[in-house]
Amino acid sequence: MAQKKLSIRIDGQLISAEEGQTILQAAKANGKYIPTLCALDGLTPVGACRVCLVEVSGVDRLFPACTTPIQDGMSVTTNSPRLTRYRRISVELLLIERNHVCAVCVSNGHCELQSMATAFGINTVEFAYNYPKLSLDTSHPRFVLDHNRCILCTRCVRVCAELEGAHVWDLTSRGIHARIVSEMNEKWGQATSCTSCGKCVQACPTGALAEKGWAVEEMVKNLGTVTTLVHRRGVEV
Amino acid sequence: MKKVKVATVWLDGCSGCHMSLLDMDAAIISLGRKIDIVYGPLVDAQEFPEDVDVTLVEGAVSSQDDLNKIQKIRQRTHVLISLGDCAVTGNVPAMRNSIPVNKLLQRIYVDGADERKLVPTDRVPVLLKQARPLREFVKVDFCVPGCPPPAKTILGLITDLLEGRKPDANQPVKFG
Amino acid sequence: MPRIQDIGAFNTVREAGLAKLTPAVPRLTVGMGTCGRGNGAEGIYHAFSEGIERSGTDIVLAPVGCFGACFQEPLVSVRLPGKPLVILRKVQANDAGRILEDVVAGNLSPDLIYCKIEAWDHLTGHVRYGEGYPEVPAWNEVPFFKSQKKIVLRNCGIINPDDIEEYIAIGGYQALYKVLIDGRPETVIEQVKAAKLRGRGGAGYLTGNKWEFLAKAKAEPKYIICNADEGDPGAYMNRNEIESDPHSLIEGMIIGAYVMGAAEGIVYVRAEYPLAVHRLNRAIEQAREYGMLGENILGRGFKFDIALVEGAGAFVCGEETALIASLEGEAGRPRPRPPFPAQKGLWGKPTNINNVETWYNIAPIVMRGAAWFTETGSPKSSGTKVFSLVGKVKNTGLVEMPLGTSLKTFIYDIGEGATAGRQVKAVQTGGPSGGCIPHDMFDTPVDYENLAQLGSIMGSGGMVVMDEDNCMVDVARYFIEFTHSESCGKCIPCRVGLNKCLRILNRVTEGAGTTHHLELLDELSRYIRDCSLCGLGQTAPNPVLTTLRHFRNEFEDHILARRCTAGVCEELALSPCENSCPLHMNIPRFLQLYKEGRLEDAFLSVILDNPLPSSTGRVCQHPCDGRCRRQTLDQSVNMREVHRFIADSIFQSDKYEAMVQAVLARKLEPTGRKIAVVGAGPAGLTAAFYLALLGHDVTVYDSQSEAGGMLRFALPEYRLPKSILRREIELIERMGVRFTLNTRVGTDVPLNDLDDRFDSIFLSIGTWKESWVYQPGTELKGVYPALNFLEAVAAGQDVSIGRRVAIIGGGNAAIDSARTALRKGAEAIVFYRRERKDMPAIEEETNAAKEEGARFVFLAAPHRVMGDAKGCVRAIEIVKTRLGAYDASGRKKPISTDEIQRFDCDSVIFAVGETVDLDFARASGLSLKENGTIEVNRFTLETSRPKFYAGGDLVTGASNVSGAMGYGKQAARNIDRHLMEAERWARLFPDVEYGQTLPEEPSPSRRHTGQELAAAVRVLSQDEVVTGLSHEAAQDEACRCLRCDVKAVNVS
Repeated sequence: MAQKKLSIRIDGQLISAEEGQTILQAAKANGKYIPTLCALDGLTPVGACRVCLVEVSGVDRLFPACTTPIQDGMSVTTNSPRLTRYRRISVELLLIERNHVCAVCVSNGHCELQSMATAFGINTVEFAYNYPKLSLDTSHPRFVLDHNRCILCTRCVRVCAELEGAHVWDLTSRGIHARIVSEMNEKWGQATSCTSCGKCVQACPTGALAEKGWAVEEMVKNLGTVTTLVHRRGVEV
Repeated sequence: MKKVKVATVWLDGCSGCHMSLLDMDAAIISLGRKIDIVYGPLVDAQEFPEDVDVTLVEGAVSSQDDLNKIQKIRQRTHVLISLGDCAVTGNVPAMRNSIPVNKLLQRIYVDGADERKLVPTDRVPVLLKQARPLREFVKVDFCVPGCPPPAKTILGLITDLLEGRKPDANQPVKFG
Repeated sequence: MPRIQDIGAFNTVREAGLAKLTPAVPRLTVGMGTCGRGNGAEGIYHAFSEGIERSGTDIVLAPVGCFGACFQEPLVSVRLPGKPLVILRKVQANDAGRILEDVVAGNLSPDLIYCKIEAWDHLTGHVRYGEGYPEVPAWNEVPFFKSQKKIVLRNCGIINPDDIEEYIAIGGYQALYKVLIDGRPETVIEQVKAAKLRGRGGAGYLTGNKWEFLAKAKAEPKYIICNADEGDPGAYMNRNEIESDPHSLIEGMIIGAYVMGAAEGIVYVRAEYPLAVHRLNRAIEQAREYGMLGENILGRGFKFDIALVEGAGAFVCGEETALIASLEGEAGRPRPRPPFPAQKGLWGKPTNINNVETWYNIAPIVMRGAAWFTETGSPKSSGTKVFSLVGKVKNTGLVEMPLGTSLKTFIYDIGEGATAGRQVKAVQTGGPSGGCIPHDMFDTPVDYENLAQLGSIMGSGGMVVMDEDNCMVDVARYFIEFTHSESCGKCIPCRVGLNKCLRILNRVTEGAGTTHHLELLDELSRYIRDCSLCGLGQTAPNPVLTTLRHFRNEFEDHILARRCTAGVCEELALSPCENSCPLHMNIPRFLQLYKEGRLEDAFLSVILDNPLPSSTGRVCQHPCDGRCRRQTLDQSVNMREVHRFIADSIFQSDKYEAMVQAVLARKLEPTGRKIAVVGAGPAGLTAAFYLALLGHDVTVYDSQSEAGGMLRFALPEYRLPKSILRREIELIERMGVRFTLNTRVGTDVPLNDLDDRFDSIFLSIGTWKESWVYQPGTELKGVYPALNFLEAVAAGQDVSIGRRVAIIGGGNAAIDSARTALRKGAEAIVFYRRERKDMPAIEEETNAAKEEGARFVFLAAPHRVMGDAKGCVRAIEIVKTRLGAYDASGRKKPISTDEIQRFDCDSVIFAVGETVDLDFARASGLSLKENGTIEVNRFTLETSRPKFYAGGDLVTGASNVSGAMGYGKQAARNIDRHLMEAERWARLFPDVEYGQTLPEEPSPSRRHTGQELAAAVRVLSQDEVVTGLSHEAAQDEACRCLRCDVKAVNVS
């Protein structure tokens, strides 16, 4: 069924987009870049990382581009000093929250958090590091979960539930204590629902989920697989 | 022309940043005409001199000794630069931070030792509770992350400073 | 009971209910909300029920909910046939017998009576109880209820919540019946819109609009939800509403369901509210039984039912999308909006969510109309809101007020202000994510917009009052700790940002904060507010942002001075007494040293903390007394008298010389720096002492003939013998301080001259000018400013005051004047424009004056002084005052009445306060504040002119001795740091070992006070009135200290 066309402005440029699209989708379709961390094409957006926040004319509050549907006549600003400052704080807070020791990380050089820090020109953070004590789950024969690198984007949770249909992953606890858990807080290796398909590993933006056997810098993710699978299987999300 | 006084300091780090500093090939010769290295692991000076123009610090602040050093250095330096991830983020030295110091020493010097199972107390600097970046103790003027930062980046920064430019904020930086 | 299907059946039930509410026999009810039960209501109820059974009298006994006056719990109400309903307060189980006897006898014990209700407007109906008891105040005449308007709480505490018939009796379910009969849902929506009812959960969205969205939504089924997940600390209005009147909620929801087209309703209530859950479950069952829920409601063909779901206690589940997630069996994590619940809510279907209190407003709006509803409240926010008024006010409880009422009304009229001896500092509205509003903004009307403007929110209606014992940094820290631990963890700003905020605030309260931290806090808070996903994160930084905005001083105190004035932040204070002392004397140390029998060490501890210990031991305002934790056991430790005793024991004995040498031995090596101190009062003497100790060359200038300032020339001999003061000044002289007396700086010695000759100058000339009230007759002979009078007497001049003296004022100078007049053989009458409890004078002094025969006339202000033909005072006319609204000082403002009274007298002394000598201040060329005091950096005491420092009354306006001395001490430390570019202060104080163990049992001894001469004897001479403690008493008193300074407790 043909979708109704809406016209919106992104950074002043008039754009024609389909009703039902989010700001992020409309922007992408028209070659406009909005930074994202938790969003992944093909998965339900959750609006958790807040780096895709944009300004909408006439409204004081900021909107996450990944979850906000477009409205006819909407005028969106994707970049402003305020947005830059806030996006930078979000990335800085992720860097201090856990132990992102890039130098010894399998994903060094292929990490979305690391490259976003580079993109934002972050050469130091304003806040003191937390250095929490976090564990590593190496019980799975092929994969490893390192909480030190996790940014709680929940891509793994969503890809497993929505694409693989296994729903191995979920979040436990609240606030700063929130963690990714497999099944009912079992060791990943003991999670019987896990099909070892590896989609979560490919979807993970950092070195939190990785394949075993790779050394520093060697873990290269293939995010495209997730999107390709969605389209190939015609999964509607 | 008066040469610019540059010092380098090695705190809790692996010396990799110093290696990178030396890794600038022929550029180091022309640089050497403009600067005097007045203190650091590369030269013999015993005491950190007064009135240093630029100090490059490698490594995290990990012991009481590091802390005393950096406070004194800050007083005697015009421009202080955190060089490399250890100085900027804590990096590898900070990986011990969630382990209590006494447990750490016990593990290394007693449980992990084959002979002379004893935690050294003499002439070994007292460890701070955590190894933390420079900026959490003293004012830092510029940060150059990287493990190590590329020689080109270090050269670029020093050149900018020598020529009286504000170092380029848009120069690509990368942790790790 | 058959389901009600027609109006006849409905009316029958109504009659039955009314017969229960106003029976022909006495009816006794007990307030049995959670609050009442917590205060023993169940015991009282059982006592009544046993008593009634035993005696076999015909009395109806019923439980009711809570009437709102929590500070008067437990509440019992009694109604005799034909008589008003009388509410009894603070009833105990053992009062039951007496009350029952009274009921049988037909009269009531006056001591328990709180108020009466002759008739009650339930809005949906009206109940007349009867008239009588003229001596008992009506409910709306007592301060707590006076300005309240009960719409939401219309039935609370009056009807039995477990009995639907009583609810129907007061007009309950009539609104529902009306709506069902009319059959026009759109008119109800129009009515709610016209009433401008706004969501009472906090956001304040227009309820009518929200209803319209759902009514127009196409998808089926639709759900309506009542949000009863009330989780704010200190807020309990929803709990009380449900416990006291569950049917109003049910009725509101049925009406809502009918007009919005929903067939299913859910009440999401906290599992921590077991009584509310129990009563609501019961009410739902009864409603089903009587035909209000289920199929064919009231015979009108409408079908609807309500399910009750208990929440597991996550604060974030109060957020509507998290609540829906929780109802669906997911973890309570919010979802982004849009889509809004009205589009895609529970199970993806259109859903309406309203707060408990919103639903309670529906039936009255239907019955009385939108126009009636908008009569109450402000133009943009109609109706009332229930607040839980808690914290540091006298009266606490649930308060329902028209929106737009000022904060002042809440705090001073209903709450009746702070508890004794304290001042209200701020109020925090809106629960943990609300903001703190400072005292000087209490005129603000409470509505959605005005609170938002101050950075706060209405929230669900929490109102926590704070006084000077609350540290605002700690308050911000506390609320962030709460919201941080309740953050769901989904989005970065709330999860990591709040955690970082908390870590920074912890650093500040530990004294490890920096000014950079304040910038970070500010930026981080704005980021969390603007970027968080849901309302929790968006509002969580409010306490930080508002305290940074309105109480920045307190943050700076923590960071720059490492002080927590409220004494809350433990790391920043040794003990509450030390923290309250302007000189920050280590009080527990000298008490302990003396207890250990080490008099010399104790003296050294005292004198190095306070160079005038004998004087302050006599005249200090002793703020330490008010903070002492021993008060919670019996009475505070008499610290002032002990340090007086220690000091006197040295100063008045042969140990003096040895101790002078011990003090001199503490002097640091000479620095060669020259410092001038201007003014030899307490501030100047203190600064001189410490500067000399630090090795500087100090010269003190004073215009008087002797050093001592106010201590020497304003304080009467009987309070502070001059010989005592001289001994202390002698010590300061022996330290090497030079005194240049009879020299007025500014005239005899120009300031520029000092600037040339000295490295630093400390100005501390005090406030030597009496604030003068120009009134008819003040030019007459025999009218004196108090300071001039006291000064003249102290200098030994003869001042003729005649036989009768009128003194105007309520401060220490007034009392000193009165007692001095008495000693000159005159009669003294003190006129004060407020009440006794408002007097700023030291209480012991006022008592002593009274004993000596001074008369006091309160609520009296001077009108005019009348003279005779020779121009001498003959009489004074005073105007009586009455107390009006509260002013900025937290006291009621006196207002003149028409009543004039005349008192014959021979002289009048005005003691209405002192001010800075403006001529000096202006001539100094230093920046001044509006009130004429000198402007200084409050941490360093630097003035606008380099090298010049100022402190004491010159900076604060008239204060007191120890306050001024505190400034002297602070100035000395800062001058030294600045001159020597090093922190040398700690070198002055020796390390002293002293006992660090807590007393196993508090000493049983009571507080000792100094011996006093009998009033009849002392009034005949200038002899010192209080002769001090005996050695034994001082020892005993030292033992009474609880040692709050000992922090590490060994648990073996």
